[in-house]
Amino acid sequence: MSERCWLALVDAAPSGADAAAALRTPDGAPAGWLAAWIRASKPVRDARRADPRIVDQDGAPATISLVLPERDALTIFDDPAVQGARRAVLADAEPADLVTTLLVDASHFAGSLTARRGPDALSRLRDDPFLRVWAGRLLVVDAGLLGSVPAPPGPVIERHGSDVPWPGGGFPAPGQ
Amino acid sequence: MSIQTDDTFPDLVALDHAGRPRSLSELAGGDPLVLTTFRGFWCPKEQAFMRRLVAFQDEVEVAYSSVVSLSVDPPEVNAAFRAGLGARWTFLADPEREHLDALELREHTDTVHHPYRPAVFLLTPDLVVHSAYNGYWYWGRPGIDELRADLREVTRAIRSDWNVAA
Repeated sequence: MSERCWLALVDAAPSGADAAAALRTPDGAPAGWLAAWIRASKPVRDARRADPRIVDQDGAPATISLVLPERDALTIFDDPAVQGARRAVLADAEPADLVTTLLVDASHFAGSLTARRGPDALSRLRDDPFLRVWAGRLLVVDAGLLGSVPAPPGPVIERHGSDVPWPGGGFPAPGQ
Repeated sequence: MSIQTDDTFPDLVALDHAGRPRSLSELAGGDPLVLTTFRGFWCPKEQAFMRRLVAFQDEVEVAYSSVVSLSVDPPEVNAAFRAGLGARWTFLADPEREHLDALELREHTDTVHHPYRPAVFLLTPDLVVHSAYNGYWYWGRPGIDELRADLREVTRAIRSDWNVAA
């Protein structure tokens, strides 16, 4: 099994994570830690898979929208509501610093992480299209975890393989 | 038009509609790429053609292919045009006309604004030109069925599992 990117909310700074950063609410209250692991197997029970391009140990602080549906209430990834959210992400004239959907298997939408920076980050994230699928949290993440990923080129909303978190991945080049 | 079938299209870098530099190869991302050059938001012919592409994106979005549109309009103008159309693909800006002459796509009849001549290129993921359409006259542009046929041919050529039973 090839290496994958795993994300999880944890109570304290985890040992063994490839990157981690403290979280705060927008008004400054501690909100745990967000940690990332690059490995084949799931590192902690509640970890969900993400686009590995989002992880950057040198990444600056960011404001995030974190959508984490309950495990027993996951909708399918191809639900029209989730498709519509992906379309809305692509239509945005001011793309986020990064966006990844989250997966726990090949069939279901297990959430999303969207990050923005700048003075209007919080207000822009209130319009995160994935918040229309499931209630999420707006948080501030410290430096050392999240980078910046170019906006998806569009208009493709499909995953490049059902176990690849949108919008990452791609198909092998001819001959590979 | 100097860029012809089987040429390799230059891997140009230009600002996207959010003002970030993007290369064509990055935007192709391993998928077929429909590249359109257009005069500007103000041209009724471009508006008509873009509306066709917007309708087509409902198919492209599930078919692992990218669309990119290039003009001399600055990023903020491209962003407004893109939003007004409801387009969900990347618009590139060449306001300094860095690529216009190298591509030999200067609209020679507009000596005031010097926009791109309308053209459509169907590129393979490594930017080889599979087909090229000169849209100076509107009917030179491909219809959606022609684009679909081009995309089918390129996809068939690059996806080793096209004939899944083989």
